[in-house]
Amino acid sequence: MIRLAIRNLFQNRTRLIISVGGVALALMLILSLDGIVRWIQTRVAAYIDASEADIWVAQAGVRNMHMASSSLSSERALEVGRVEGVDSVTPILYLTNVVVAGEERTISYIIGLPEEAQAGRPWIVSAGRGDPRPGGAVIDQGIAEASGIGLGDRVELLGADFEVVGLSGGTTSLTNSIAFISSEDFARLRASPDTVSFLLVRVEASAPPDKIARLIEDQVEGVTAQTREQFSAQERKVVRDMSTDLVTIMNSVGFLIGLAVMGLTVYTATLSRRAEYGVLKALGARNRDLYLSVGVQALASVVLGLAAGLAFTLLLAGIVPRIVSNLGLEVSLESLGKVATASLIFASTAALLPIRQIRGLDPAVVFRGK
Amino acid sequence: MLVARKNLIQEKTRFALSVGGVALAIMLVLILDGFQVGMYRQITSYLDHSEGSLVVAQEGVVNLIGATSLLPLGTRAQVEAVEGVQGVAPILSQFVILDLHDKKQPAYLVGYSPELGGGPWEIVEGREPEVDEEMVFDRVLAERHAIGVGDRVVLMDRSYRIVGLSGGTTSWMTSFLFLRKSAVESLLLSPGATSFLLVVVADGQSPEIIRDRISRLSGVDAMLKSEVQANDSRLLARFFSAPVRLMTAIAFLVGVLVVGLVIYTATVERQREYGVLKALGARNRLLYKVVLAQAALAALVGTGLGILLARAASAAIMAARPQFLVVMQSEMAGRAIVIGLGMGLLAALFPARVLAGLAPAEVFRR
Repeated sequence: MIRLAIRNLFQNRTRLIISVGGVALALMLILSLDGIVRWIQTRVAAYIDASEADIWVAQAGVRNMHMASSSLSSERALEVGRVEGVDSVTPILYLTNVVVAGEERTISYIIGLPEEAQAGRPWIVSAGRGDPRPGGAVIDQGIAEASGIGLGDRVELLGADFEVVGLSGGTTSLTNSIAFISSEDFARLRASPDTVSFLLVRVEASAPPDKIARLIEDQVEGVTAQTREQFSAQERKVVRDMSTDLVTIMNSVGFLIGLAVMGLTVYTATLSRRAEYGVLKALGARNRDLYLSVGVQALASVVLGLAAGLAFTLLLAGIVPRIVSNLGLEVSLESLGKVATASLIFASTAALLPIRQIRGLDPAVVFRGK
Repeated sequence: MLVARKNLIQEKTRFALSVGGVALAIMLVLILDGFQVGMYRQITSYLDHSEGSLVVAQEGVVNLIGATSLLPLGTRAQVEAVEGVQGVAPILSQFVILDLHDKKQPAYLVGYSPELGGGPWEIVEGREPEVDEEMVFDRVLAERHAIGVGDRVVLMDRSYRIVGLSGGTTSWMTSFLFLRKSAVESLLLSPGATSFLLVVVADGQSPEIIRDRISRLSGVDAMLKSEVQANDSRLLARFFSAPVRLMTAIAFLVGVLVVGLVIYTATVERQREYGVLKALGARNRLLYKVVLAQAALAALVGTGLGILLARAASAAIMAARPQFLVVMQSEMAGRAIVIGLGMGLLAALFPARVLAGLAPAEVFRR
């Protein structure tokens, strides 16, 4: 019966392609939305993850970088540096502003870096240098390409002109890019010479970062210290919490579409095979055997649909970043598990639809030529 | 047309499933559209309701949302002295992340001077802040987290007492919170700082002329409110248009395949009847028309249902999650019909090969 079901499924290739394609696209809706959100989560925390800092120290109560502001007196850097187990402290300045490159205006995190920074530098430098130094700026390579500018060209940041001295990679996300200038320029343009935004702390080789973070909070007033992993997790949580409701709504619609497509596929397949099922019944096959045949077809369709949906999504993940510089997809095992579960529900629900047809099928129908 | 309709609706379950599939795809397209329009409205709501017709920002900053602006010290006095300026409301604004019930909630914090303006435009309960430790909180966000007037909220390790709840200040991305300007200066460790000036132009004066006069000042850019609103909308479109377009394209393809599957199956099932028509002299063009009519009918019925579903779903979404604004504009229905017809047109291609290869004699061989 299983062999019969598979042969039935593959006999009409056009219908198979349409139905598998439909299921694949419905699953792709869920997979790609999940993939986009996951990509944003990774990118939003990319700077923190690649910062090489073991601990991030911020203004008391500030636990995020994205959509947040932190101000610390520059004296705090000295105090943190005196905490036992701290190897180096890199103070950085940060705010969100516009990078004007040619005709393009891009919202960017502007990072003010001190010379010879031990942490927080651009982690992929595809051209030029990573250390901006006074008068220089390191901007995202994708932004530079989109604006048609390169090394030696001028860009506007914080209302001032800078020479592009480096191009960085991995520094763009859906909402913004990251640009680096020197702390000196940053402080001058913001007229805030005694203030820094975050302290990037590296600990001694044998020192556990979580313990040192607690020591910093105990010994330095008005700061919140988190390990890099904690800080990064908080950053991802912002994206996750913001997108949860939206993703749930979209996934629900995707799920319903998948259900309708799969139901339609199995129902039409059964309908068109009515005569064959009648023959089987006339030859003594029980309803149970026919249900099995329908179930196997439904299952095989969703398995193929799942594989095709995954393949399409992976293809999309490869193509999208080449077309849209601030968008990408990251397919995860968790998402795959989610769509696999949805597929099983599609198959089992769809297999229930033609039950009434099979049950009411008259074996004599085949002899009447209907 | 009669043949097409009869052929299509003969098998009712199949017809219902195909209409349902198209309707869901259209619903998804419309909800995405409505969500995007709603976001644009929400993102400009502050400027829609705030004082004045001009916004003064740090030079190079052209957005209210998205970029940090810090005006040079003394800018307020310089702008007030510009001929044709009637009033100036300074605000200090900054995105902040609230931790509410273990959820991260971005909020746009506005520091304003109640006597000058720039604060909440609708207080639904309570009053405006009178001292630095008082706050006006967004009503929808307050309801979601069971917070009310008199409760305290921690912002960057400082505690503020809610004295008022504001209406029309929520969005999916962020909600507005209002403190006195001096309170935000203290919170951000930026004494005397100002992000933007909201400028009221004197009666009879042209906002464009005053804008140009203010822009001559050093270190600042003056813009019409409508320009800043357009810039904020453009910024938002840059963030969200690509994912929304991607989702819409997938939904469209799903709709094409759903209609295609039904039309294809219906055509294959009726091969003999089509063969009879061919044997009686009907040309392929006529058969294509029958198939196309079926596809268009299924797509249009599905589109109609999809429009109704989208309206119902958007109402349900906004009732359950008031932070979402899904705006259904009348022109969207027209667009949905065009999309639906597009689905039908493409879907009709699937059975075209079957019809073209059909031998008229086939009917007599069976």
